[in-house]
Amino acid sequence: MTKRDTGSVLLALAAAAGVALMPIHSAAQSEQDKTGKTGKFGPVGPGPKGKGPAAPAGPTPRMPDGKVDLQGLWTPGNSFANMGQVSLQPWADALYKERRANLSKDDPEGHCLPAGVPRISPFPQKIVQTPTLVVILDEGNIHSYRQVFLDGRKHLEDSGPLWMGDSIGKWDGDTLVIDTVGFNDKTWLNGQGVPHSEELHVVERYSRPDLGHLEVDITLDDPKAFTKPHNFKRTFTLMQNAEILEYVCNEFNVDAEHLVGK
Amino acid sequence: MLSRFHAVAVTVCLVLLTGALPALAHHSFAAEYDSTKAITVKGTIQKLEWVNPHAYFWVDVKDENGKITTWAFESLSPNALARQGWNRNSLKKGEEVTVEGYLAKDGKPLADGSIHANSKSVTRADGRKVFVGSSADDVATK
Repeated sequence: MTKRDTGSVLLALAAAAGVALMPIHSAAQSEQDKTGKTGKFGPVGPGPKGKGPAAPAGPTPRMPDGKVDLQGLWTPGNSFANMGQVSLQPWADALYKERRANLSKDDPEGHCLPAGVPRISPFPQKIVQTPTLVVILDEGNIHSYRQVFLDGRKHLEDSGPLWMGDSIGKWDGDTLVIDTVGFNDKTWLNGQGVPHSEELHVVERYSRPDLGHLEVDITLDDPKAFTKPHNFKRTFTLMQNAEILEYVCNEFNVDAEHLVGK
Repeated sequence: MLSRFHAVAVTVCLVLLTGALPALAHHSFAAEYDSTKAITVKGTIQKLEWVNPHAYFWVDVKDENGKITTWAFESLSPNALARQGWNRNSLKKGEEVTVEGYLAKDGKPLADGSIHANSKSVTRADGRKVFVGSSADDVATK
């Protein structure tokens, strides 16, 4: 039985049992409404139903040099988990199945290690932009940063291997194209444990069609681990009057020793 | 294990998990907690630690003989709680609460001897719910 089948059976059982399927975040939202405490740290991260806060309307902002201004605090809603099915080579597929069987107990994120690229969490990201450098700051699951160099340099000849890779970028019209290589093979591409090798190559295309949305088209290739390149998209929503919050993962990570899997 | 702690304040039942809410945990829920072992624990707040990667709070439960058992509940991360309007004063020492959650899979206590569980919501004496949400809502590892 596949995961999807299992989910369908559970849903049917739940319906038969008359279980109220109240979204947990809607309960939280009503609490907020009563207390009026929204706003201090901005809107709730993923928002009701994981769709993120309502996107503010307006035209695409631009930098003084005319380039699209990608800056802001961005929340992915549920699109953080949009990767879909990657077509894996046999060794990578076997490793993926082993990680599924272990219920992701060895996920590096559980040990407060970086997510890598392009994996993200539902926590927001902040983009800071200059004509020659874009910095992407991850709030979680651990604090991480990416430097994207737009000054025309090439990739490092020998970069690492690196957790977050070596990123260079250039503008293709109103789209920022970020090319990243130089990875280690320790990170997982998602929480389900899709693996990759050190030959992972990530190309991200960032566009901002209006004030409130950031669209990212992502192409992954890994000739050692994949049978073909893989493409997927994420859409982020602008969080206004909000900032990145602190998240120091190693402070009290008692989970690590209790991650037993099955 | 539960019989040791008397079932007066603890109800274990099957819970059918559904929904597709964002992951708010840095680890796989299913690798650490058992979604088929849902619990409801009624007691008083002993302390709250506003720490990463998850806030934790401890609840003292008194049985009919006056014996106190302490439970330690993992909640969401402080940033996730803060964005929903809660803070370290949302639960006060000595306050009566009812906690709904899930038992840890390994059945092992935390280092301080408390029973280890995951919280999905806390109901205060006045009926208000706080600290709503759990890594059980995780979609990333399902």
